[in-house]
Amino acid sequence: MLEISDLCAGYGGVPALRSIDFRVGPREHVAILGPNGAGKTTLLKTISGTVEADSGSILFDGQDLLSQAPHRRVETGIVHVPQGRMIFASMTVSDNLRLGSHRRGARDRHDERRELVLEIFPALADMLGRDGGALSGGQQQMLAVARGVMACPRLLMLDEPSMGLAPRAADDIFEGIARLLKSETTAMIVVEQRAHEALEVCDRAYVLESAEVALEATSRELLADETLAATYLGSGA
Amino acid sequence: MVEFLQFLVPGILIGGVYALLASGLGLIFGVMRVVNFAQADFMMLAMYLSWALFAGGVGLDPFLAVPAVFVLFLVLGMAVHWLFIRFVIGKRENHDAQVILTIGLGLIFQNLILIRYSSEPRVVAPSYANAGDFIGDIFISRVRLYAFLLSVLVAALLFLFLNRSRTGRAIRAASENWEAATYMGIDIDRTNRIAFGVGVALTAVGGSALVTFQSITPFVGFRFVVVMFAAVVLGGLGSVSGAFVGGVLIGIIQSVSQVWTSAAVKNVWVFALFLLILYVRPNGLFGKVQRAI
Repeated sequence: MLEISDLCAGYGGVPALRSIDFRVGPREHVAILGPNGAGKTTLLKTISGTVEADSGSILFDGQDLLSQAPHRRVETGIVHVPQGRMIFASMTVSDNLRLGSHRRGARDRHDERRELVLEIFPALADMLGRDGGALSGGQQQMLAVARGVMACPRLLMLDEPSMGLAPRAADDIFEGIARLLKSETTAMIVVEQRAHEALEVCDRAYVLESAEVALEATSRELLADETLAATYLGSGA
Repeated sequence: MVEFLQFLVPGILIGGVYALLASGLGLIFGVMRVVNFAQADFMMLAMYLSWALFAGGVGLDPFLAVPAVFVLFLVLGMAVHWLFIRFVIGKRENHDAQVILTIGLGLIFQNLILIRYSSEPRVVAPSYANAGDFIGDIFISRVRLYAFLLSVLVAALLFLFLNRSRTGRAIRAASENWEAATYMGIDIDRTNRIAFGVGVALTAVGGSALVTFQSITPFVGFRFVVVMFAAVVLGGLGSVSGAFVGGVLIGIIQSVSQVWTSAAVKNVWVFALFLLILYVRPNGLFGKVQRAI
């Protein structure tokens, strides 16, 4: 479904991604793990187009993505839920959701999707009239994921959905994502610091280290192998 | 009290027009963080267009010409964005280029009009130009009342557009966070282009509302540019409704101050209040933006 080969990108000459090969199959859920500054966020941004690639190729359903403007890539079904949530703080929760279904392919399904996201995150149902900025951090993250789901993603990319959240709020997010994946056939990429939670919902994982892919393995392999877990998943393994 | 009202009412009426002029400038800044120094010259162009339609044989009433002015300046604004503005948007180091570009456009507009129509002041005087009605002891000028009602109507339509339409919501989203808006599939270049066109058209309509009681020269923009900028800053950079409130406030102060002092110093009062408000609320009345230019 998504085929990335030999992808390089950087900021002002400093490489952030070096020769990345990366693949997501249809309906597959893939985790990207690794320390801060390894290039995880840059990889997602290069896929959605807010960071330009220097070389290499990204194919989505066999189509070249790099030659398309970022907003056009959304139309193919690639939906990015960015790090730091980036909800529209001065707009109501309802309007945020409506913006989620802005893309052509999702417009007509707004009402049906809205029902779905309110099932996934019931807490949002009481907040529809409130400004996004008035929500708690956990609720804002729910809104950010919900807004992404509104867009009828074929490939949903979540960048650190638990960042900055208390453990309980993070659990709520992961429970919501698990509920989503029960009813949806979307493929997914999750960038996460909480490796275990991410691996529980993912089939496969890539570990990025200093702008390169250091390891590619199935979730089961990573969780089962104590050496790998200790090296790549931190001391909690 | 009657004397006070005699100054307050015209102040509110002219304030409505200031508000319309300023809302265009405020929309453009709010959406793409471009300070458009040519804004008052778009107003001047619209005034000449209204004059040409009225005096140039067609005899079209300037208030009836408003829809045509709006559409023409919407297209003109979008063309100017597409031809020039979009190349100087986005990066921080582009601020100098934005200033030079928009001031340059303004100078070109002024001098093209100067070459074509000379600096002779032009006047648009429909049959009802001096008509008016007394409500109690307060005289209300017909043309100023129409100008005010037009401003209120356009403001209401702008509000509906920004809050209820898909494009309006996309414009607001893009102005709040262009990166998140991109992830929604919103074409930022397109929302900027539309916002620039609408912003120019709003100020142009404000110009059309003015021509019935304001004589026109190629440099008439200078008379209004300060008021427009003061209204936008007063209301709060980035807030269109703030620009609107700022405009009305300035109209009221200019007028009511004449109860006590000469009309010659009316802008002194405007700037005294301007400084006071910014001292208390540095981001303006409804400000969103911490750092301007």
